[in-house]
Amino acid sequence: PSTLATQFDLKTYWTALIKEINQKLDEAVPVQYPHQIYEAMRYSVLAKGAKRAPPVMCVAACELFGGNRLAAFPTACALEMVHAASLIHDDLPCMDDDPSRRGQPSNHTVFGVDMAILAGDALFPLGFRHIVSHTPTDLVPETRLLKVIAEIARAVGSTGMAAGQFIDLEGGPNAVDFIQEKKFGEMGECSAVCGGLLGGASDEELQKLRTYGRAVGVLHQVVSDVLEAKMDTQDEDEGKKKKGKSYVGVYGVEKAIEVAEDLKAQAKKALDGLEKYGDKVVPLYSFVDYAADRGFTIDQEV
Amino acid sequence: DQKALDSSTVFNFRSYMVEKATIVNKALDDAVSVKNPPMIHQAMRYSLLAGGKRVRPMLCIAACELVGGHQSQAMPAACAVEMIHTMSLIHDDLPCMDNDDLRRGKPTNHKVFGEDVAVLSGDSLLAFAFEYIVTATKGVSPSRVLSAVGELAKSIGTEGLVAGQVVDLASTGKTNIGLDQLEFIHIHKTAALLEASVVLGAILGGGTQEEVEKLRRFARGIGLLFQVVDDILDVTKSSEELGKTAGKDLVTDKVTYPKLMGLEKARHFAEKLKEDAKFQLSEFDNDKVAPLIALADYIAHREN
Repeated sequence: PSTLATQFDLKTYWTALIKEINQKLDEAVPVQYPHQIYEAMRYSVLAKGAKRAPPVMCVAACELFGGNRLAAFPTACALEMVHAASLIHDDLPCMDDDPSRRGQPSNHTVFGVDMAILAGDALFPLGFRHIVSHTPTDLVPETRLLKVIAEIARAVGSTGMAAGQFIDLEGGPNAVDFIQEKKFGEMGECSAVCGGLLGGASDEELQKLRTYGRAVGVLHQVVSDVLEAKMDTQDEDEGKKKKGKSYVGVYGVEKAIEVAEDLKAQAKKALDGLEKYGDKVVPLYSFVDYAADRGFTIDQEV
Repeated sequence: DQKALDSSTVFNFRSYMVEKATIVNKALDDAVSVKNPPMIHQAMRYSLLAGGKRVRPMLCIAACELVGGHQSQAMPAACAVEMIHTMSLIHDDLPCMDNDDLRRGKPTNHKVFGEDVAVLSGDSLLAFAFEYIVTATKGVSPSRVLSAVGELAKSIGTEGLVAGQVVDLASTGKTNIGLDQLEFIHIHKTAALLEASVVLGAILGGGTQEEVEKLRRFARGIGLLFQVVDDILDVTKSSEELGKTAGKDLVTDKVTYPKLMGLEKARHFAEKLKEDAKFQLSEFDNDKVAPLIALADYIAHREN
């Protein structure tokens, strides 16, 4: 689909979706009593510069199968809420002890450790609640929504992102592969599959999306690690802390680039057979190229 | 003889509790198995299977059966509310929150597994409660399962458990806390999940909207009752009897009902909450309502 891809402008598509998603997230987390917890949730969910990759992939996958994007927005927002919850908890002093996130101080640095834990605890269920209360029932059968909820719950849970974070902290044999798959692959996989479910994809198509989303999620992280290593802007402490958790840290830049090439091919191959949907598959191809090449920067507007 | 006849017709709450707790414990044991990585799942099981009284699951099952449903329809939800309850205890016990070393007579989760695993196992129980309710519930329409998911989610977040804990933390050490604020804390920290337990059971059992709302008011009442009794027990019982650190509310300067209204008035308030709650049940079938009435009495008169 290279001829189609040239006519498709991912940056415009992505930026427009970010704007809509940010607006819906803003409405989904109002400020009421007790204010401090809502402020803490909003701080992370509405963080400036968030690329909103999970929701954008979810919307694109839904539209691929002819689904209305209005059907996908509540789930797209939920993905961002549970993602933010995971990141808030990952940054805690008893976890990665990260003082910053997305270029701003991490949640607990601003609101305190107790509020940060509670903000995460509130964002997980808010995601599920948002799907139930906001998805137009005339656009999505209820059985599909149940599958979406199960998919998200599994992705963030004890065999998904929480498992990735655990191995990240505690280590283990071949830890780096497990960590990349779970911490970064799960969210990509879940986003693509949820979009497919909402759009009415068949089981076989969902399987393709599963492979595709997981590969794109890991690819994006591996390339980020490679770019960081090349820029070499990290101070030494940070470099040490991350060593052992990334492909670059464990295998070096050369091997990481090989892994990235492999993931890129895997992701594109997973889309074989979906060309019958015409132009609508183009955004999914372009996410792979973006994750691999970073051909542009996403506008950091809210 | 007349006495023997009476006791055979009287609802046997003790055996009901034992029977339901046994079934729920088995269901919880089966629901959360040890997967990879083992330690997170062991931490989840450590707190989940620590032998709580299973009041929430029982409320869920009793409400389901009251509106004509079968226990099996409510069992995954009954497990889910216990997972949420456990998750909130694990996180509330953390050093940055209430800093508790002892829970249900055992060292708290973070004491055994470390703070990082305690946070993650709580998060995992939260997520799994939702996964389990949507994947394991059988014989209920998808729209009712979805309503149950929405109700459960509401009971956890900023209109439920979390809101209660936030205001509770903000109130600790302050002397100007009024009854309104104390009630806000307990309605959210305790009553919300008890309410969800009953409401989920009623929804999944096929209850009408009117039945669901009556049971919601019942549950909110006994939820507040639960906390008022807890406050009273904390000042009247020893640690050994409670299985947790007694008098802690006094030591940490936490506001309680006995502190705000005096012990006697707190006891009267508890009695009134119990009667109001039971009144919500007056239009239900006399035979079927016995477990919930007995549960209200149990919550009011329990010793630990």
